[in-house]
Amino acid sequence: MFYHNFKYTIKTLLKDRTLMFWTLAFPLILGTLFNMAFSDIENKEKLDIIDIAIVNNTYFEQNEIYKKSFSNLESKNNKDRLFSIKYVDEKQAKKLLEKKKITGYLKLEESSPKVIIAQNGINETVFKYVTEEISEQEKIIKNIFEYKLKDMNSSNSINDIYNDLYKNIKEILNSNKVQIKDISSNNLSYTMIEFYTLIAMTCLYGGILGMVAISKNLANISNNGKRISVSPVPKRELILSSILASYIIQVIGLVILFLYTNIILKIDYGNNYLLIILLSLVGSFAGLCLGTFISSTFKVGENTKTGIIIAITMVCCFLSGMMGITMKYIIDKNIPILNKINPASMITDGFYSLYYYDTKTRFYFNVISLLLFSIVLLSISMLSLRRQKYDNI
Amino acid sequence: MENIIEVKNLTKEYKNLKAIDDLSFCVKKGEILGLLGPNGSGKSTTINCILSLLNFSNGEIKIFGKEMTPDAYDIKKDIGVIFQDIAVFAELTVEENLDYFCGLYIKEKEIRKKYIKDAINLVGLNEFKKFYPKQLSGGLLRRLNIACGIAHKPKLVFLDEPTVAVDPQSRNNILEGIKTLKEEGATIIYTTHYMEEVEILCDRIIILDKGKIIATGTTDDLKALARIEEKISLEIIELEKKHFNNIKKLKNVEEVKYDNNILIITYKKGEHNLIELIDYLKDNKINYDKIYSERPTLNDVFLELTGKELRD
Repeated sequence: MFYHNFKYTIKTLLKDRTLMFWTLAFPLILGTLFNMAFSDIENKEKLDIIDIAIVNNTYFEQNEIYKKSFSNLESKNNKDRLFSIKYVDEKQAKKLLEKKKITGYLKLEESSPKVIIAQNGINETVFKYVTEEISEQEKIIKNIFEYKLKDMNSSNSINDIYNDLYKNIKEILNSNKVQIKDISSNNLSYTMIEFYTLIAMTCLYGGILGMVAISKNLANISNNGKRISVSPVPKRELILSSILASYIIQVIGLVILFLYTNIILKIDYGNNYLLIILLSLVGSFAGLCLGTFISSTFKVGENTKTGIIIAITMVCCFLSGMMGITMKYIIDKNIPILNKINPASMITDGFYSLYYYDTKTRFYFNVISLLLFSIVLLSISMLSLRRQKYDNI
Repeated sequence: MENIIEVKNLTKEYKNLKAIDDLSFCVKKGEILGLLGPNGSGKSTTINCILSLLNFSNGEIKIFGKEMTPDAYDIKKDIGVIFQDIAVFAELTVEENLDYFCGLYIKEKEIRKKYIKDAINLVGLNEFKKFYPKQLSGGLLRRLNIACGIAHKPKLVFLDEPTVAVDPQSRNNILEGIKTLKEEGATIIYTTHYMEEVEILCDRIIILDKGKIIATGTTDDLKALARIEEKISLEIIELEKKHFNNIKKLKNVEEVKYDNNILIITYKKGEHNLIELIDYLKDNKINYDKIYSERPTLNDVFLELTGKELRD
């Protein structure tokens, strides 16, 4: 009976044109549009080196981490050179910014570094991201330093402590924990960011498949559900086979999207195929759980539910940077919790971390977050799905 | 005769409203039991409670002698249900819909194939096997809805208003199909607010109102409850007041109504009422047209018992 329901669920889902449009065709259309819209911008900005200024004050002079990092990023010997830097006082930096000679300038203060920009854009975002990463490195090093200073009272000699400290800092700087991969113009691109959000959107749109597949089994939701509920097939068997069928279609949709964007649109997703597959599978599962949750908890018509899933997906993708990468940055900066609970952000961030960081920590953090998100939604859904009798239908 | 369904003291409440109020009845093997009542009388709720789809406040339900629960799969395998609302997949053809729903009961492909063929023949959908539901008319769709509920040859069939909004041809087809099911040995519960269908089909009738049984018995038993025995209606253009009063005084006349040139006379009892009336009209040279004589209907019984019409 499991296979019987599985087979017919696949059949009904594949023959549902509205469903196939949103879950299969729409991402392909959007991908094509993205490619057309952004490939030109991409080509124009590909070789640009970002002009910035740094306020040459005492704080900067005394901060070796910032000095070394920016020096490396502007070095002409660096094949992935990112910045062209002018070291000026604040007055001059302001003037340069006003005249649009620079993208922005950095001013170190006692508390935290300040990045001053005149507008939002890809260069501004890159500048902010890089500064933030350097700031993170600095914080970690300071923490280690303070921790070691506390040990000054211990029996170790001063030399031991300094040696230990030197070793630790060196390890941290060489480790993958905070090291930025080459954020060169080759790696960071509009197109890639848009395609990450497109994948996230496709994963979440898969929720519509789950929603439709589940709804047909619930007596309080659909007429077919009433008929199926009086059949001698256990509910768990029906639900599981329906979920599996919708998940498989969802994954097929993602594979088509990957093949289309990779082969036809020439989008380079890198070499981490296994991790890409893992993230896509987990992302799709999260989408499916979202659909299951909406299907089982909202007692409204199927079209309304589809609308709810589309709306949620679009808002999530918007917040994760689909309509402009700066949005992701703004949310990260001001309401970071929002991106921590936004499944689209988890998926896009997972992809970012694969491409822009050597470390896998951030990637796995996103994968685990997505799994937690899925488990929470699924648990709530189960409370409703387990019911076999209703107060009204 | 063996009881297929036993319902004892069934009560279902929605907040402060009693949708079913202490209902008790049983259905014998092989009979067609009609649940008759106006919209909102509790017919569908009763069926949904019996099928274990709805929670109920109180009562006991047994089917085939066993307690009915959502997990009673050995009971469910012998039940077929045709709900009031169409329950088929728009994405599947007539044949695929039947295969899906029948497949929830019958595993063996070959048996299923034969059963589906029988169901298609029973409801007369042979020419439409490859059609999608949206390509079918309302009546044909109702037939498909019925076929999906009975394709697995259940021993007990619930039909919840299966003929709502169907054309006369489909209605006849559906009613014939139900008779065939009975002949094949199925026990049937049939809910409707069309009294004509109940009169044609049902061995026994339960009349429901506001969740309560107000009368039960065969058609004749129920009709015996009515105070009237005959109703004559005829068309008369401008009936004079004195004739109206004289007709009132004729033998056995219970009530006379004259509205829109239609005269309706109801008689308590007695024979030859029509002859007497015609004689009076002839003697007084009153012209008339379209004359009908009817026995009391279940609607009259319902009217008598509740003071309102079945289709109110």
